[in-house]
Amino acid sequence: MADLAGPISLAEQIRLVAGLRWRMLVNGLRKKNNVLDLIGMGFVSLLALILIIGPCFAFYFAGYSLVSAGRLPWLAAPFWAIFIFWQVIPIFAAGFGSSFEFRTLLRFPFSASAFYLIGLAYGLANFPALACICWLLLMTAGATVAKPSVLPIMLVVAILIILLNVTVERLIGSWLEKLLARRRSREIFLGIFILLMFSMQFITPIQRQYVKTNPNPAPFFGIVKYLAPFPPSLSARVVSGAVRHDFVDIAIGLSGLVGFVFIFSALLWQRYAAQYRGEELSESPAPSRAVPSRAARWRSIPQIISTGRTAPGFLPAMVGPMVRKEFSYLVRNGFAFFLLVLPPAQMLLFSSQFGGKHPIIAGRGLNADLFFPAMMAYTILVMMGPAYNTFAYEGRGIQTYFSAPLRFSDIFAGKNLVSAATIGFEVALCGVVLAWAIGPPSVPALFATIFALIFTVSGQLPIANWASLTFPRKLEFGTMRGQRNSGVSVWIMFGAQIVLGGISALVLSTARWSGNPWLPAEGFAFLAAAALSGYFASLQPLSELAEKKKEVLIEALCR
Amino acid sequence: MTDVAIRTEKLTRRFGNLVAVDAMDLQVTAGQFFGFLGPNGAGKSTTIKMLTGLLAPSSGRVEVLGIDFATHPVEVKRQIGVVPEGMGLFDRLTGTDYLRFVGRMYGLDQQTTDRRADELLEFMQLADRPKTMIVDYSHGMQKKLALAAAVIHGPRVLFLDEPFEGVDALAAGALKSLLGRMTERGVTIFLTSHVMEIVERLCSHVAIINKGRLVAQGSLEELRAGVPGDEGAKVTLEQIFLSIVGQHGGQPGMEPPVDELSWLT
Repeated sequence: MADLAGPISLAEQIRLVAGLRWRMLVNGLRKKNNVLDLIGMGFVSLLALILIIGPCFAFYFAGYSLVSAGRLPWLAAPFWAIFIFWQVIPIFAAGFGSSFEFRTLLRFPFSASAFYLIGLAYGLANFPALACICWLLLMTAGATVAKPSVLPIMLVVAILIILLNVTVERLIGSWLEKLLARRRSREIFLGIFILLMFSMQFITPIQRQYVKTNPNPAPFFGIVKYLAPFPPSLSARVVSGAVRHDFVDIAIGLSGLVGFVFIFSALLWQRYAAQYRGEELSESPAPSRAVPSRAARWRSIPQIISTGRTAPGFLPAMVGPMVRKEFSYLVRNGFAFFLLVLPPAQMLLFSSQFGGKHPIIAGRGLNADLFFPAMMAYTILVMMGPAYNTFAYEGRGIQTYFSAPLRFSDIFAGKNLVSAATIGFEVALCGVVLAWAIGPPSVPALFATIFALIFTVSGQLPIANWASLTFPRKLEFGTMRGQRNSGVSVWIMFGAQIVLGGISALVLSTARWSGNPWLPAEGFAFLAAAALSGYFASLQPLSELAEKKKEVLIEALCR
Repeated sequence: MTDVAIRTEKLTRRFGNLVAVDAMDLQVTAGQFFGFLGPNGAGKSTTIKMLTGLLAPSSGRVEVLGIDFATHPVEVKRQIGVVPEGMGLFDRLTGTDYLRFVGRMYGLDQQTTDRRADELLEFMQLADRPKTMIVDYSHGMQKKLALAAAVIHGPRVLFLDEPFEGVDALAAGALKSLLGRMTERGVTIFLTSHVMEIVERLCSHVAIINKGRLVAQGSLEELRAGVPGDEGAKVTLEQIFLSIVGQHGGQPGMEPPVDELSWLT
């Protein structure tokens, strides 16, 4: 019979988990075999350092100045900043992965209480938590220098705030983990999240509009009083009470904080206990059969296409199935589909800032003949990104392309056709939005823009196809972490767009130089024809290159 | 028509200094159910990738049905079906979408593709989830779909990399019967598996690769003849495999030292 090991102490378990996190960090660095990635990581580390050290001064100064100057009502602001940073950044850092690593620790012989405490310790060992602890300590130091008698109460508040923040952060993480364990909810959540982030861009225009119509912002600050019962404001109340020797405020504030800690700890205990009992988070094993309903009609577009009733028969034999497959992928990539809303929304945002009759940033609205092509160029800039990593979502399916009896040029033709159609649709939509927001451009400018778009898209496609073959990177649906094209591919895209954009700007300027408004349209028509010829000529060499690069592709996409 | 379905000559693949497959001379006769065995890291998947066009050899030659793969890759691919390592599925298609896509890619017309896709989904017991995307399939369902895709165009040579891994006993039985019927009709099946019982039950001929080198090749009877066993008892494929490859580091007949892992036993 094998010898069984005896139980180890909780402190030793925490030490081991901390060691595990450290090894994961070190091993993660070891994977960075690319010099560019290393340089990038160096920059990120530098930024992270600046992000921690810079606010340290600010929090020290806030603690010192607010206490010494007696501006006690403002003490809530730094506490709120810490609270928001601590809670929001881990949501970004989680990256909408399917699960956090922490759950995997469950296979070890922990008691439920040990699992809970290790969970808290795990939460303290991440970047936002460490940064916030530093800021909190520096704020305590600042307040203590200003008034040494507040030190004991500041320390109590700091401990309670740390405990509360880590508990709330773990609780949110645990709920997110449960929610995001399902693929569909993960993708929808990510789409909503991106749109939410984008919609924040509209806050400034709305706020400026609000200020313009309501010069007295007092009602806006009226909401501050509603924040009083929440932990950051309660912390400020305790410190303020300590400065003023108001023991009622101290008692109320501390009771509130302890109450919050107790409530959130109970909720977290409930979640962790469920995990400890072996809560099943994965996808349902057998999705139910779809019932014919209104929802089914929504899904009918790819189905009609895949059954071939509306199959684009004018396409070559191998290109048709590729187009259908790409279309299915587009429709089923909830995330990408959601993001098709972004370009027209961006047009609205930019036109409110730079164009039209009441621009916010530019003093005088830009001329439609200038603004329209510029915005179309921006749309192309955004929309062409995925074409530079066109196999990103194929995953292991890439092997099918190499084991099937077909030419890679057909694959590129199918993929590029869907990309061009999507770009065309989005450009048309953006055009309509712009025409509504700032007015239509002149007819020569419109034609020049259309030909310029054909030129830039067909001019970029061969380069994008080459980059897709040479620097592929696997991307996953509904995941945020690591979802970016290869660094080299991004540089190639920027290079291509700068060159093509530069040529376009030169051609556009010929109208002003020559006085002939139709000259750019003629120039772009010629360039578009040349770029299209170049595109078709590139398909065969790219097909040959694909055969040479198949190992790179398969290795990168089948991981 | 040639009798040889697969032939390799001095087939070699290097990854830097590592020789994954070393000058392999392999021959598989048409209509054989051929098992390709080897320990982990022996070079099985590398070989199958080279035989199916997923990996270019460093040197040497591959011929399938008498056609040189290097000079006529499309012609060879038309004749073969593949279940590669990792299955090669497109996650965001439904099973029906995928089979229709593959069928069309192999040049079948729309009507034939649709009919065969429906029949295969029915046979593989995947027809009751027409709207489910592959990403939501279980591992076993994905495996069955990959097999369906490999045969939709009626290949003459079928390459299967661990085809039964994760497939339930019921479906595995039906698949084995289907594959058996295919070989009766002259289809050559080249199969890798770690499950010796499956290979022993299905395959008439076997090759064993170890450390990139082909160390044995022949019919099961030929291989059995070369291995000493208890009188009257039939030598199993596992015994043949262990005898040739060895239990430790590829040294035939080597027993594990008695004091190893004594704390566990």
